[in-house]
Amino acid sequence: MSEKMRESLSALMDDEASELELQRLLTRIGDDAGLRDSWCRFNTVRSVLAGQQLAGLDRDISGAVREAIGRESAPLTSTSRHQRWLRPLASLAVAASVTGVVVLGGQQLAQLENNDARALASSVSPVGLVNSLGATTVQASYGTRSMPGLEPATRTAYRELARQRMQRYLQEHVEQASLNSPQGLLPFVRVPQIQE
Amino acid sequence: MNGVARTSVALNGVARTSVALNGVARTSVARSGVARSSVAQRLCLLSVTLATLVFTSVAMAQLPACPEEQATALSLLERMSRASTELDYRGVVTVQRGDEMQVVQVSHFVSDGASSESITRLTGQGARVSRKDHPLDCVHPGSQLLQLGQALARGDCGLARHYRFKVSEGDRVAGRQAVRLKVDPRDVYRFGYVMDLDQDTGLLLKIRYVGHGDDTLEKSQFANLSFSRGETGDSDIEVEHQARHPQPPAAHGDHPAPMSSLVWRVNWVPEGFVATDSAAPGQARRTYTDGLAAFSVFLEELPREIRPGEGMVRRGATTSYSRGLRLGERPVLVTVIGEVPVNTARMVADSIAWEVAHAD
Repeated sequence: MSEKMRESLSALMDDEASELELQRLLTRIGDDAGLRDSWCRFNTVRSVLAGQQLAGLDRDISGAVREAIGRESAPLTSTSRHQRWLRPLASLAVAASVTGVVVLGGQQLAQLENNDARALASSVSPVGLVNSLGATTVQASYGTRSMPGLEPATRTAYRELARQRMQRYLQEHVEQASLNSPQGLLPFVRVPQIQE
Repeated sequence: MNGVARTSVALNGVARTSVALNGVARTSVARSGVARSSVAQRLCLLSVTLATLVFTSVAMAQLPACPEEQATALSLLERMSRASTELDYRGVVTVQRGDEMQVVQVSHFVSDGASSESITRLTGQGARVSRKDHPLDCVHPGSQLLQLGQALARGDCGLARHYRFKVSEGDRVAGRQAVRLKVDPRDVYRFGYVMDLDQDTGLLLKIRYVGHGDDTLEKSQFANLSFSRGETGDSDIEVEHQARHPQPPAAHGDHPAPMSSLVWRVNWVPEGFVATDSAAPGQARRTYTDGLAAFSVFLEELPREIRPGEGMVRRGATTSYSRGLRLGERPVLVTVIGEVPVNTARMVADSIAWEVAHAD
């Protein structure tokens, strides 16, 4: 495994990999046993740190994930207006199919699911409490370290979802921002393809 | 006699300068009602003010009024906000987001108490966005937060409660001398800014969005600027978009009853953020602004379960954060999009809850 790949993998684990790096990793991981091992090892370490059980983590699901993302992301880069309306459906399909892949992992992953539920519950704390934990929120703010316990597969799918939602909702946000922030209509430059 | 009068005039000049720069002086003048009183009183006031300014900036913070530099910055922001809506100007603006660079032409003019503006993309997509005949007296919440007016004189610190301002000499931008306003957030919920404002008019010439660790997220600046009227040049335009004009917040009860009796609400936004418009209870979007930043919250009810999780992407200063979760018994996807750190987006998403709509 090259140093570059190791860096990419590490970035992915920290949720900081670029889309290009992600593609590269997913392309290579099928043929690179060393890379695959490292992925699993990283996962294990992270899971232990997150207090998770280890079951199911040696299962390599990257192939199926790569396939699921590859299938769905190709048409999404096109910008025809009809497809814009199909996107919400397509994006859910990505999430659903990747979720499907993960769930197919079997019994061990059901356990993981429970951990997720707990992680989610603990993150939805009363606002006052969150506010008082200033130090924690600072760290969460810029580290982009996500909730513990989520499989990278899901995280990747969610990132894709966030990307598509940005495309879908940005203009509506900008309509408001352009009236309520000091730059006039300039926020519209943030919309890649302005729609009439 | 003559001499006294002259002194009075001179002092008056000094006093005015101090008033313009300094919310404290203005407050005390207004409160004690001595604006037109004797020279002695004025002198006294002035010296008290100066003494306070010179000696204790810490003590100043405990006074009801804002510290001088903050007040100066607040009046600069007000000037900037008014300049952008009340002046005639046009020019070319470059916008840099990450490694992407865009160039747009902007035009703004006022006639009959209404402003018309447009931006035309000169790179990338051939698109023009315009807003025509926007009444000058239609001031949206974001601008209201910047235009404190008399409230500043009364000691309202406005945005200085959430940002720390620093005023210094600015760069030359588009051939014009600027005043620099450095804007640092006082909490972790917003980004910082470095703004260069035109010295003569207050117009925002250049802005840099600053993330954690002085990271430049986005930068835009005028490449050229003229304070005159004129249509934007002929460009190859494929998309012509009229910017929408949402209603400012109205009194509760103006809306038709929502379809379902359950409505969603955002229970927490960072201090200082207010709603930009009056969201109908069934509406899928809410937008909030603190005057400088804005973010929108979108909620989708999903037809089927979604594996709980979250994801985010950022382009320039804009964060998009999506979170799948069960809200009550229903699977939903919450998305927060805006020019705020991801942590803010996440905490806002955390606070969303259903509530039973009350029939008014």
